Amino acid sequence: MKFSLSWIGDFVDTAAAGGAEGAQRLLEQAGFPLESLERSGGDAILDVEITPNRPDAMSHRGLAREIAAMAGVPFLIPSPLIPSPPAPGGEGQGEGGVSVPSVQELTSVEIEVPRLCRRFGARVVRGISGAPAIESVRSRLSSIGSKPISAAVDATNYVLWETGQPLHAFDLDKLAGGRVVVRRAQKGEKLVLLDGAEYELVPSDVVVADAERAVSLAGIMGGLDTAVTAKTENVLLEAAWWDPAAIRKTARRLSLHTDASHRFERGADPEAIPEALDRAAKILLESAGGTMAPGRIDARGAAWKARKAFLRLARLRLLAGEDKLDLDFAAEALSRLGFAVSKRGKRLQVGVPTFRPDISIEDDLAEEVLRVYGYHGLPSRLPSTRGGGGYLEPLRQIEEAMADAGVALGLYETMASPFVDRATEERPFLQWIAVAGGAPQPLSVANPLDQTRRDLRSTLIPGLLDSVARNVHRGERTVGLFEVGRVFDRPGDPADPPSFESRRFAFALTGDWRGHWSAGGPSSRSDFFDAKGVLERLVSPWMEPEILRWKPFAADGFVPGAAALAETPAGEILGVVGLLSRSEREKRKLAEAVFAGEIRVEAIPRRGTPARFEPYSAFPPIEADLSFAHSRERTWQVLEEFVRAQNLAGLDSIRLVDRYEGPGVEEGRAKTTIRLTFRAHDRTLEQEEVNREVQRLAAQLTAHLGVVFG
Amino acid sequence: MKDEEDKSPPSPVSRLTPTGSPDPVGDVLSQFAEESGRGVSSRSDFERLKGRFLGREKGLVPGLFARLKDLPPAERAAFGSRANTAKHEIEDGVSRLAEEISKREAESRDRGDAVDITLPGRRARVGGLHPVTAVRRRIEQIFLRMGYSVADGPEIENDRYNFEALNFPPDHPARDSQDTFFIDRKAPSPLLLRTHTSPVQIREMEKRGAPLKLIVPGRVYRNESVDATHAAVFNQVEGLVVDRGISMADLKGTVEEFFADLFGRDTRARFIPTFFPFVEPGVDVAASCIFCKGAGCGKCKGSGWIELAGAGMVHPKVLAGCGIDPEEFTGFAFGLGLDRVALLLYEFPDLRLLLEGDVRFLRQFARES
Repeated sequence: MKFSLSWIGDFVDTAAAGGAEGAQRLLEQAGFPLESLERSGGDAILDVEITPNRPDAMSHRGLAREIAAMAGVPFLIPSPLIPSPPAPGGEGQGEGGVSVPSVQELTSVEIEVPRLCRRFGARVVRGISGAPAIESVRSRLSSIGSKPISAAVDATNYVLWETGQPLHAFDLDKLAGGRVVVRRAQKGEKLVLLDGAEYELVPSDVVVADAERAVSLAGIMGGLDTAVTAKTENVLLEAAWWDPAAIRKTARRLSLHTDASHRFERGADPEAIPEALDRAAKILLESAGGTMAPGRIDARGAAWKARKAFLRLARLRLLAGEDKLDLDFAAEALSRLGFAVSKRGKRLQVGVPTFRPDISIEDDLAEEVLRVYGYHGLPSRLPSTRGGGGYLEPLRQIEEAMADAGVALGLYETMASPFVDRATEERPFLQWIAVAGGAPQPLSVANPLDQTRRDLRSTLIPGLLDSVARNVHRGERTVGLFEVGRVFDRPGDPADPPSFESRRFAFALTGDWRGHWSAGGPSSRSDFFDAKGVLERLVSPWMEPEILRWKPFAADGFVPGAAALAETPAGEILGVVGLLSRSEREKRKLAEAVFAGEIRVEAIPRRGTPARFEPYSAFPPIEADLSFAHSRERTWQVLEEFVRAQNLAGLDSIRLVDRYEGPGVEEGRAKTTIRLTFRAHDRTLEQEEVNREVQRLAAQLTAHLGVVFG
Repeated sequence: MKDEEDKSPPSPVSRLTPTGSPDPVGDVLSQFAEESGRGVSSRSDFERLKGRFLGREKGLVPGLFARLKDLPPAERAAFGSRANTAKHEIEDGVSRLAEEISKREAESRDRGDAVDITLPGRRARVGGLHPVTAVRRRIEQIFLRMGYSVADGPEIENDRYNFEALNFPPDHPARDSQDTFFIDRKAPSPLLLRTHTSPVQIREMEKRGAPLKLIVPGRVYRNESVDATHAAVFNQVEGLVVDRGISMADLKGTVEEFFADLFGRDTRARFIPTFFPFVEPGVDVAASCIFCKGAGCGKCKGSGWIELAGAGMVHPKVLAGCGIDPEEFTGFAFGLGLDRVALLLYEFPDLRLLLEGDVRFLRQFARES
């Protein structure tokens, strides 16, 4: 909001406050930092940030009060331009002593909505010329970017910027019945406003009406039909107090934001009304001549209350953390800001001025005192609070450890937008969403930024895949990414917002994942087992890979037969890993294989298996490799379980050495090499006893699984 | 003494039974000197040489001792002694040759193992944390060291936690500053994406009561159009301390310590009054510009200060609403944007890069992991 320093100077000695720099520093201390400070001619234009709780500061006089209070210099009232109030006996007499009608004879105001309009003041000026506003008024308005329009409009704008009270000028002769009614709009009532647009109103809107129709949208904008024009002779000036919530509701519904609505929404000062009316009338008379109808209309709605609060010295010192503060300083600070202060022992009794709707409790008063004191003057210390924590939630610890493992595996962390389109982006992964316990329908945003992406994600996979694709299109051949984040997949309860979310860790990789300068060739291309190994490694601090159970999984987004679900030993779904389907790759223009996986963080046991020493054999092992061909139907899981079931004496471990399918091996068959390690706890094994066991196993494999050795 | 005929190389037979030479020991020695002097080129060469001189059955040295019995008894002692000396000399010579051949073999093996040490090392692939995560962890570490806990809360909230309990009255202009994504406006307490991490203050105070000392990092959402410096999805960290006797001075000291730890010891903090419904008094906190140290530069628009955080004393209504007596307990809270801190620390040009997943961007922060 822009303000002129010289205009502020009507109310405070700005030179005594340190000129433009001084004003800037003092306003900052008061909580009104400047966006900019521009010098023009002998003036300086301050662009001031004003928080929504301080409508009183949205005027030159209001800022002057703040500067004066912070600097400890006098706040000057009245300003040199404020007119002397009409002498009581003088009213009702025209210039030539001719009796002129009073404002009450010329118009009337009726308030039908006393809670929404607590006060409505009016003055009438008759017989104005078409002359513009006086030069000083026009130049000041121009200096802050408000375009001069006509004497009447400029008078109202000038007073708005000077005192913060919005006003409106009607052409009195265009008001049907010459009178004003403040009421709710009728349903469907139409009103053309000063912006030239027609608005259809609803009963929650408040209007100023004449005998027949709405003529102004209360507190927001006047109507076009009754506006002051070059031909206007008789003007009715309105200054009123409107209910903030009602103004806000209408302004938002109609997307109308005006200087007036901005102030009324934040709370205007009902006691500023008479003075504002007098001031505007005076400016109008000085500019365009005419005569002021004696008297002022002061219609009242519901009464407003004078607010009182108290401030204890102990509370002030507690909040500040400064024992040097005393009640004398507090009283002085509050008085400078316009509060009525009286000292009662160790506390102050404080009358809150009507221009400060933001002040209601003791701590508000403490803040006023501290603004004047300045926060730079307070001491600094660290809280001595103990036992507050020093902990990280268990699930967060798991996420952090998984992120570290992801980095160690060579993956880069990404963060994607959670806004997706369920029907397109998530459709290929619906089977995964379902099996992971997701709700059939996504949560959607009622007011999205992007209409094509209004659903909240139920899986992190599509977002990761988009990032992989972006990287590949930008020339990266090998890409590995992960994301730790929330998905909004749960069938939750609106009364319990956390119930909609779950935590995920997802990853995707493509390219020569194991590739290296000396390890070229097709074997460096990433395959399903790289991705599976990533999942196994990520959860290994809490679950040994051997105890996970893997099951084939079918989802549209994965190649059939190259996707699997991992289950915890408790049978809970832990995650998924798969080779991205051809159509998903084509959709993203990805030529090479891409693998993706996702882990349900909540499925990981919060506590892993605690480490504990287990004795190990001191005797040397004997290894034996077995190579055999077999049907592809005999999966590794089948083979491994079969070998274990033979209870070979002294068998320590079974390890897969090689699996081969391709030239040299029949269609539908595979060749597997396993390495058996034998080791006894109490002695060195003999080669012969190991040979016997291996031969026994070979015979069983041949007999029961139809494997062929050699 | 030497017989001219004996200078010709001995036949295999004559080697075994040298006859007619006046000095058979000298002959063997000189023969060894000559052959060993030529050196051996391989292990088999060496074995051949060793066999010819020292071989038990047919070696020249054992051959000398075989002659002893044919000599007159008076010559035997002298001959025997000379033969023994010759044997030791030849054995030493053979050992030297053995060492030489072993050394040469080892050298040849090592030559095979030699590499171009300037070829790149086979590095394990290493990834990196997202810059916002890196900054979040730095901040978490600072506060964990000061004894804070790290709390967590839902990203979907309702109006009660996101606004009402934080003293935002319904239909209040203060809500304008927090453009909200709504999920279900018709729910008894409308469902929304949290606009700040502050609702977790309420959840923690309700759950744990006072005293409390925690920070809350997390993702937040604002319905704002996105550009280089504005994001609709971003991250904050929130701090909350509630205890007996907590004051603005504690807030000041804490924020100063935090800034000093994060940006450097010479960083100062500035507090100016502002308004947030859930604190009273409320302050805007700026750090002295980390680029110009407060002198004024382009990054701080010449002011010497960078606005970073909102803070204040927890509003008594907020405490009371969580069942904490504001007469007994006071508290301070602060909050700041992690993405903005990342932008300051790493000096990248556009917040949108944070959601792109471009590894050319992400790679640059790998060392922060």
